[in-house]
Amino acid sequence: MATWGELEEALADYTVQCNANERLRKMQRDWSRRLHFSCVDSDVTFTMVVDHGEIVEVSEGHDGVPDIGVSASSEVFCDMFWGDLNPVSKYLAGEIKVQGSQEDVMRLDAISAIIWPDT
Amino acid sequence: MTDAAVPGAPEGAAPALQLRRALGLASATATSAGLAFAAMDYLAVVSVAAYAAGDSAWLAILVAGFLALLVAGVFSELNGLYPSAAGIRLYMTRAMGPKSALSVTFTYMTTIVLVIAADAFIIGAAVQHGLHEPAVLAYVWIVLLVGVAMAANLLGVRLAGRVQDLVTYTVLGSTVALSLVAIFHVPGPFRTPFAVFEHGPHGAIEAVAFGVFLYAAFEWVTTTAEEVRSPSVTTRALFIAPGILFVVTALVSFAMSHAVAFHRLHGSAYPQLLLGKATLGTLGELWMLATTVLTAVNTFNGGFLTASRFIYAAAREDTLPRSFARLNLRAVPWLAVVVLGTTSMAVAAAVFATHQWLLLVAVGSTLEALIYAFACWSVLVLRRREPRSRPFRLRAGKPLAIAGVVVFAALGLASGFSDPRHPSKLSALPMAVVVVMAVLSTCYVLMAVPRLRAKARARAAAARPRRRPQRPDTVAPGAPTPDPAASDPASPG
Repeated sequence: MATWGELEEALADYTVQCNANERLRKMQRDWSRRLHFSCVDSDVTFTMVVDHGEIVEVSEGHDGVPDIGVSASSEVFCDMFWGDLNPVSKYLAGEIKVQGSQEDVMRLDAISAIIWPDT
Repeated sequence: MTDAAVPGAPEGAAPALQLRRALGLASATATSAGLAFAAMDYLAVVSVAAYAAGDSAWLAILVAGFLALLVAGVFSELNGLYPSAAGIRLYMTRAMGPKSALSVTFTYMTTIVLVIAADAFIIGAAVQHGLHEPAVLAYVWIVLLVGVAMAANLLGVRLAGRVQDLVTYTVLGSTVALSLVAIFHVPGPFRTPFAVFEHGPHGAIEAVAFGVFLYAAFEWVTTTAEEVRSPSVTTRALFIAPGILFVVTALVSFAMSHAVAFHRLHGSAYPQLLLGKATLGTLGELWMLATTVLTAVNTFNGGFLTASRFIYAAAREDTLPRSFARLNLRAVPWLAVVVLGTTSMAVAAAVFATHQWLLLVAVGSTLEALIYAFACWSVLVLRRREPRSRPFRLRAGKPLAIAGVVVFAALGLASGFSDPRHPSKLSALPMAVVVVMAVLSTCYVLMAVPRLRAKARARAAAARPRRRPQRPDTVAPGAPTPDPAASDPASPG
């Protein structure tokens, strides 16, 4: 089970990767969403705010009304934010669960697909 | 078949969240009915009428409606277990294993191509007829219609949910209104409205088999399981939509057989225009032409979105070539959309050239009945393998699911060996098409997918080492440290 500290480290790297990727920023320029993440194997929850494709805030706990909810084990989240696993495979296997529109689910995966095309 | 409240959250469900935007019952019902009601349904109504005597097609549609309620119960239970857009893959994988599930899913997805192609053909032919143009111009309309749908998709144009709901209810309302006018306005007696068995048991079974197709795809509302306010919204939509579809299709069947001579309906690719013309003259014809064109909004919007996103997901998990997951700057899987569009154009043009539009209805009926049999089978297997609580449990589920497997398999065989162009004859062509599609899909899953996956593994291994730092307590003495370049945001992805 990953700790909040490990997740925070993974999220910091993920944020840098996303915000530094010009193509991704251009693709997601019309995408502004608030995401709530919940670890199913611990009490850890966190919120991510995306504004026009830029991750502008990541904080512990659930804050505000979300557009998308994502739940998975803390290990899966950690590997996903480090780009070490393919989110679609985990989603299709039922290990990542999402609440939100199909379009948003795809946009979320598109982030990983663009910054880590080899996973 | 009612909601059985189960205390506690189901294991398959994500923790309940109140989302900013979530689908309510009206939208979920519109989605379900809208996915099922396409221009192809006007042809399917004629196929039902081909096997039911006089004005009695509505009885076959009613029986098919009761079977659709069984399907609603089955999909409600499966959706409760796996409330996900990928639900069909998940429960089929658990019930039959990953290879069979993938093979069935690929075959299932080809029905979307068939429906898009059929609708492109029907609308193209209807517009060409309505505008009194030469027949060859139907090809131009087909290319134009699919081309516009493809371009809109590539540009990331999305219909707002409310617009889509409005379109669905307008199409259904418009069809009902014209049907009622036809029933009460066109003079003449009703012919044998209760004689569904007049053509014998074979005719009645075929009529019900094609009747099932009128409800086909209503269960796809389960792909919005992640968007609804609560799982019960999907369940209620699944039970309401067949009722709406019954009213619309039964009325249109009654109106068609009452107002238009059957031999004219049977030979036509646009029977709804003939109904409009017989009811209100040119005004009625234009009314039904506008309604037909409007059905394209839902079919093309929903069909392109669902199929292209499925192709994207399949490519991302390396069951299709990775190039299908390439996104354009509007976050649209452009290659998936283009291949889908061009394939649909080609199939639609082939149908127009060969005049085999009723074959498409027969193939669609066969595929859908067999999918329903698989779904019933999945309920049986999953009750044994996953006895955990579900938010919805079909009452008398075991006997009903067994009955579902038998009935839908029989209906699949009936439509698979039918010839709606010559109802008194049998033809193996629809089943041959389904078998070819299933064999191709299975060969692909058994031969091509393992190669794609091996290639993906090699690519991932060669690309870069694992990026996540190892925990200090798990690092073996002398083990290499993570590559710092891999964490450098400036380094190529």
